[in-house]
Amino acid sequence: MHIADGIVSGPVIATGFGITALLAAATMRKVELEEIPKVSVVTAVFFVANFIHIPLVVASIHLILNGLAGVILGKRAFMAIMLGVVLQAFFGFGGVSVIGVNSVMLGGGALLAYGVWQCRHFVSMPNKEIVFGSLAGAMGIFFSGCILALALVTTGEAFMTAAQMVLGYHVILMVIEGAVTGACVGFLLKTKPDLLSGQSSNKAG
Amino acid sequence: MSLDIDRHAHVESSIQRWDPRFKIASLLLLILCLALVKSIPLILIGLFLSIGLLLISRIPLGFIYQGLKVVVIFLLPFFIILPLTYPGETESYFIGMPYAIEGLRLATLIVIKAIAIVLTAYVMFGSRRFDVSMTALQHLKCPPLVVQMLLFTYRFIFLFLAEMRRMDTAMKARGFIKKPDLYTLKVLGGFVGTLLIRSFERTERIYKAMLSKGYQGELHTLIEFKSEAKDFIKAGVVVLLAIVIFSVDMTTVFSHAEQAWF
Repeated sequence: MHIADGIVSGPVIATGFGITALLAAATMRKVELEEIPKVSVVTAVFFVANFIHIPLVVASIHLILNGLAGVILGKRAFMAIMLGVVLQAFFGFGGVSVIGVNSVMLGGGALLAYGVWQCRHFVSMPNKEIVFGSLAGAMGIFFSGCILALALVTTGEAFMTAAQMVLGYHVILMVIEGAVTGACVGFLLKTKPDLLSGQSSNKAG
Repeated sequence: MSLDIDRHAHVESSIQRWDPRFKIASLLLLILCLALVKSIPLILIGLFLSIGLLLISRIPLGFIYQGLKVVVIFLLPFFIILPLTYPGETESYFIGMPYAIEGLRLATLIVIKAIAIVLTAYVMFGSRRFDVSMTALQHLKCPPLVVQMLLFTYRFIFLFLAEMRRMDTAMKARGFIKKPDLYTLKVLGGFVGTLLIRSFERTERIYKAMLSKGYQGELHTLIEFKSEAKDFIKAGVVVLLAIVIFSVDMTTVFSHAEQAWF
């Protein structure tokens, strides 16, 4: 769920653009030629996945999958998500002025998910990829929810309750994204493990 | 769903003839100024301005309605949440619940602002072919890497969307129904995984084809931009309006006038 234009204040908009520029510069250092299409693929899939709706008791919600982007692309995921946000704004879904805030919100979540995903090297347990995949998916969304709430609260105290509702909503999203990301990681592990960041194919063929 | 923002790029208008470099730069400034407006009368002026630009661009309104619908539906809850939760005491009541006018004002401001900005975005990118707009972005010192990735992604989105629809049909044909349970989520995980693998394998082929045609990390284009006096004048008018809106908002004239309303 991205934030629309016209909600957050000037300083929040400026901070969003500033942090986005820093993160983009930091995560795109020494990018190789063959990575350009790879990042674009994940951006496009991330964009398309926004159209997958899941029915919930009263409403339907759509997948965000920024955690999965982190698991697949590693630190380059920030760029993928930033471009997704940019395209969304260009396509008339709103959000031109909050490209920065949205990038930090979703892209930052992807980076955190990558960090969580990398932690799997420190433990040994069965199915650890699936467990850490789920955790990465859930943490990615949790981070986004926190940033969104933070952006609302720093804009004005009028948004206090709205921010609390946003956090509550993201707890539900966390469960859903965690389950989908975990299942997806499990599937990729069986079929094409080298797609996952830092995961070489351990079985021949 | 109107993902092909440039569907009506062929429509002749003075916005379409405008040099995209000047158009994008000046309209971006206008959008930023609109995003910072804090009073309703001023943002109404902004809204009329964006509607005016839209009418000049002659992009069909039915096309814009689709995108606008999504934005407005997303923002409607604010009309309920903000007035009910606005901090402080209030005297006005609505069906027995405290209903803060100030919260309603804020919600109205947000929705008008969002609409004005979305309309301006349509004018900005809907009036020329997408690749032309992206080339213009590159001329505006946007990193070539970013522009290339945007163009790649733009190409892929339509491919993957078609792929996704096909897979969706296949799942439905096998009797899969989405329900709010863990099984559905697991299936969707596999769905996304399959989509990823197919997309990666497909783009690997595209990439190899590009390499064999001499791709070295640069996109060469025949698109050239010529700017005339007219382009400067159009950009000048928009920049001037943006600055006027911004500075009038800074003087808080309208905000004070607004206080008298409530």
